[in-house]
Amino acid sequence: MRTILNKKPLFWLLLSIPALILLYGYWRGAIDSIDMLHPTGEFSARLMIIAMMLGPLAAVIGPKPWLKWLLARRRALGVSAFAYAVLHTIFYVIDMGNLDDILAEWLTPGIWTAWAAMLVFVPVALTSNDAAMHALRSNWKSIQRLVYAAAVLTILHWFWVDNDYRAAIIHFAPLILLWIAVFAKPFFASKVQSKGI
Amino acid sequence: MRIVSLSVLAAAAALSFAATPASATGAIKCKAGPVSGWKTQDTLKAKLVKEGWVVRKAKVDGGCYEVYGTTPEGDRVEAYFHPVSLEKLYVAKRGQVLFRKSGY
Repeated sequence: MRTILNKKPLFWLLLSIPALILLYGYWRGAIDSIDMLHPTGEFSARLMIIAMMLGPLAAVIGPKPWLKWLLARRRALGVSAFAYAVLHTIFYVIDMGNLDDILAEWLTPGIWTAWAAMLVFVPVALTSNDAAMHALRSNWKSIQRLVYAAAVLTILHWFWVDNDYRAAIIHFAPLILLWIAVFAKPFFASKVQSKGI
Repeated sequence: MRIVSLSVLAAAAALSFAATPASATGAIKCKAGPVSGWKTQDTLKAKLVKEGWVVRKAKVDGGCYEVYGTTPEGDRVEAYFHPVSLEKLYVAKRGQVLFRKSGY
């Protein structure tokens, strides 16, 4: 049982369940294209945030078995975040229905930030595999770091498109707090040392 | 350090739990009284279509009627209307507020 639960394909399947439920609802006609936007966008952001939290979390609390388990699945979290972002974009296009309407609003703050986030996210997702990792060597990490730009653009997109900062901040706060903790850690460590504790 | 990291983690966890999806955008709230006194969504839709709107979807949000559609000027918007007077209260294009009635 334990080995089955630890299988990586099962983790991928788990991450796809919200998408499958949403797509089934859309296919049945129970969910409109416009109502697919919020959940697909939120799942994308949540998975992105969780994937990005694992590194700083390990730096702050040190190695833990459950964290190691999640770190081994970080790629699944990141690629799934991208897949939900693709779904989000597809349903935006379906909802808009024509190119003229899409072009008419693409310079709106809430929209250009979304296209930019998506554009930045593409190379990160495309290189999220072993082959790209070996081929790109040291460049691989710099490409993967583009996810930070995607995260910032995602916060701005969310903030502007909602015209409300609350949902975006509540979601990204854990990640921001962890970054603060990572930066604060050496400061606290040196203080403790200087006191001779 | 342990206390700092634990408190950061606790705060992060608390915030994660608070991060439940908000299905209602709640841009505007209407205190319009009992639903029995409201005009129907179809009346609002018909009125808007007559004025040149394209209505894609209408629903109740924050006690108001919320409409997704295109204005006579061609903007794709989310708009709020009072369910009794059918007065336009708020119009936003992807979060950019185009119109907001004073007091709302």
